[in-house]
Amino acid sequence: MAGELLKLDDLKMYFHTRDGVVKAVDGVSYTLNPGETLGVVGESGSGKSVTALTMMRLVPMPPGKIEGGEVLFKGESLLTMKEEQVRDIRGNRIAMIFQDPMTSLNPVYRIGHQIAEPLMVHKGMSKAQAHERAVELLEMVGIPNAADRAGDYPHQFSGGMRQRAMIAMALSCDPDVLIADEPTTALDVTIQAQILELMQALQKRTGTAIIMITHDLGVVADMANNILVMYAGRPVEFGTTDQVFYQPRHPYTWGLMDSLPTQNLTEKSALHPIKGQPPSLLHVPTGCSFHPRCPYAKDVCGTMDPPLVDLGGGHLSACLFSGDPGFERRVVEYAEVPE
Amino acid sequence: MSDLLRVEHLTKHFAVHQRFLGSRVGNYVSAVDDVSFNVREGETLGLVGESGCGKSTTGRCIIRLTEPTSGSIFFEDRNVGELQGKDLKAFRRQAQFIFQDPYASLNPRMTIGEIISEPLAIHGEGTRAERQSRAKELLDVVGLNPEHISRYPHEFSGGQRQRIGIARALALNPKLLICDEPVSALDVSIQAQVLNLLDRLQDEFGLTYVFIAHDLSVVQHISDRIAVMYLGKLVEVSDWKSLYMQPYHPYTQSLLSAVPLPDPDRQRNRERILLEGDPPSPIDPPTGCRFHTRCPIAQEICSNKEPELLQVASGHTAACHFAAPNPVPVGVKGTTAATAVAAVSG
Repeated sequence: MAGELLKLDDLKMYFHTRDGVVKAVDGVSYTLNPGETLGVVGESGSGKSVTALTMMRLVPMPPGKIEGGEVLFKGESLLTMKEEQVRDIRGNRIAMIFQDPMTSLNPVYRIGHQIAEPLMVHKGMSKAQAHERAVELLEMVGIPNAADRAGDYPHQFSGGMRQRAMIAMALSCDPDVLIADEPTTALDVTIQAQILELMQALQKRTGTAIIMITHDLGVVADMANNILVMYAGRPVEFGTTDQVFYQPRHPYTWGLMDSLPTQNLTEKSALHPIKGQPPSLLHVPTGCSFHPRCPYAKDVCGTMDPPLVDLGGGHLSACLFSGDPGFERRVVEYAEVPE
Repeated sequence: MSDLLRVEHLTKHFAVHQRFLGSRVGNYVSAVDDVSFNVREGETLGLVGESGCGKSTTGRCIIRLTEPTSGSIFFEDRNVGELQGKDLKAFRRQAQFIFQDPYASLNPRMTIGEIISEPLAIHGEGTRAERQSRAKELLDVVGLNPEHISRYPHEFSGGQRQRIGIARALALNPKLLICDEPVSALDVSIQAQVLNLLDRLQDEFGLTYVFIAHDLSVVQHISDRIAVMYLGKLVEVSDWKSLYMQPYHPYTQSLLSAVPLPDPDRQRNRERILLEGDPPSPIDPPTGCRFHTRCPIAQEICSNKEPELLQVASGHTAACHFAAPNPVPVGVKGTTAATAVAAVSG
């Protein structure tokens, strides 16, 4: 299709370790259209970051191995492309920002230089041109006295400013896709609000598509057009933001939402956590990987892989019972969960 | 309910050494500055604020993990700062601490049985066998399998380790637990489990909590009363409901408005106050009200005169010259990132 910017089809990335095969990404598919925001939500170890790293070809292989699937960027396969071609896309057409802005900036180079670097590499700008553009970009992301601050080193920036600098760097080449991996997790809540607002404002201006990887459902609630929920390396639910928040159909999504303290001002409501813990990716349960923790699980869940089924309107869920009209979310009380 | 804990004019300054390895003291970081509050028996006081606001230092000062620069702490009307020897040891039985990082706070070379029974051994309780059976009992209380008593911490997940830390804190039957960000390192589903556990233990053992956290939705869930800190100062103290319904301090209001809500409709439609810039350095805090540099409604007086923490409603205090219910009017915002972008592109 002409509209598709990025398409993942049944992507699988396994790590071959001494202890066995870790199925970090096990059949992830989605499409991203220009200008869209996709929220990828999941807990630690759900494979949300590795998916992004795999499609950027940033996973060291070995131990990683792509066991199948395809990543198409504007119709071209990123997985079979030569390394030089990928390098031309990475940081240029598809840019990435990471969780920890301190470790992702080089401490021994000035901020301005680090932002100018991709411009010189990808756009062939001269040093002076690139520096000038770097200052403009710093201004754009709201760094005061940008011309002076471009000469600072990362340690002279606060956490929020570093993340702004990372955003400036990522957007320097006007990428088609920006992958943001937990961009605000390390930041305070007032700074988080600033960064999210900045990303939205910049997206409006540049039309960049964003893949927002996060564990915080609140972060994607007003940013994302679509949401993908992942569990143990697999997608469990996909839909528009409203579908996933207001008509979720997968028990894991239900559990995730019931685990969140609600902002209910009249009374305190109890939390209803999911019992147990996420499985080790070395020993993913057979059948539906969520079945040992699922309060709705039946015998069949332990033996049959649930396919990702379209429930209508592009709303997908990987649960054998999602399509049953009588399958409804109910409040599940746990004695909190001895292991 | 009577006060179990009173903190009066607590101040903690850390010296900043100006020379590497040197002893010349240049400046002071005023991590906590003249903070007073009380905690009633059986309640949970939430202590919130952003990084560097002094909430953890306050917690550490309460149980004398850190010696305060000045001010006093009264536990059951006894001044904790004056306790020595036996009395101090007795106090430490009563007040225990739960740490944020479940990986760093458990000794990797000790079995969890040894970890949990160590406080008992230190206080000379029981024989080795009795301590062991108490440890098993505690594992059961926090929802872990007592048979795992000879396992090592690395065999447990983050949430389970946090349960081990809680079991250790409970070993001596304390009255007060200082919980320093006990769930912020955990995944959402595990976080909810631990919060429910803390809730249940409070009911079961009549515990009093000081719950330190930066996540306002977690604090709201667990707290009876909430104290908000900014740059070493208390800015607002209130019961949880009126704090969330009707904050009187502009910082509290903007903090609440910055929390991302897991509800697309509410998130899209609500009025958010975006604060400008970063919190200033506590080495050289702003004069007057420490929040005035980022405050959307600051006036001249705010930079000259420090506001006192005054009662603004029943059981509700705030430190602002313009304290009022939701003091920042709709439409007044700090310079937002959006306007900065608009200015550059326009």
